[in-house]
Amino acid sequence: MASRGVLSRANRIKSRLQSALQPTIIEVEDVSHQHAGHAAVRETGNNETHFNVKVVSSKFDGHNLVKRHRMVYDLLSDELQSGLHALSIVAKTPKEHGL
Amino acid sequence: MARSLSQMMLKRFAAYPLARSSAITSRYSTSLPSDPDTHEDFRPASKLESSGLSLENIVEQDVKENPVMIYMKGVPDLPRCGFSSLAVRVLKEYKAPISARNILEDPELKNAVKAFSHWPTFPQIFINGEFIGGSDIILNMHQSGELKEKLKTIVDNQGKEE
Repeated sequence: MASRGVLSRANRIKSRLQSALQPTIIEVEDVSHQHAGHAAVRETGNNETHFNVKVVSSKFDGHNLVKRHRMVYDLLSDELQSGLHALSIVAKTPKEHGL
Repeated sequence: MARSLSQMMLKRFAAYPLARSSAITSRYSTSLPSDPDTHEDFRPASKLESSGLSLENIVEQDVKENPVMIYMKGVPDLPRCGFSSLAVRVLKEYKAPISARNILEDPELKNAVKAFSHWPTFPQIFINGEFIGGSDIILNMHQSGELKEKLKTIVDNQGKEE
């Protein structure tokens, strides 16, 4: 918890997904500025709300997209409850990504 | 008590008619009996605990009765979020009728939908009662041709009705 204030949300998302999914590729991009006019963003004054997440992990093997997205959402439930508003998720297996 | 609660639910939703892609249908507003016997002070308060179940029933009914159901921010003709906008744009590529509810108008409905689907964000799309996912997934299915396949029977039936 102590690290909360220090690390950006992007870094927290990244390290959470990294340790749980052991991805071969992980990219987390903060795109909150694109949603600055968003009603929910204005109301909360929160400025780390929208992220693009790309994860390539063999842990997605055999799971459909809904299941893969749920895996990511479940890992980030703390963030979702503390102001993370939306994620754009690309979740692929290494094979699908041509690795 | 139970009766007035359900009436309250109906009244709540009369205020938020289900939007269809072309025509607006207000399916929960038909012939509502007024309730003059109950003073406002004595009607049950609208709390999550008391109404959550009923709201989930509404969601259940929505996805059962509407071949393409989207819970979104804003309405199809005026989305209030880029992701909702994207999902509607994708769905409009097909000729299937789209039914929608605006979750920004009702935080309790929003929570009920989340609980129903076990999915934390919006938009949420259901096709033939099946949970499809959000905007990333619908776009993915559009690009892969999977969405066309899923909507085929709905579009075909629509053609026959007209």
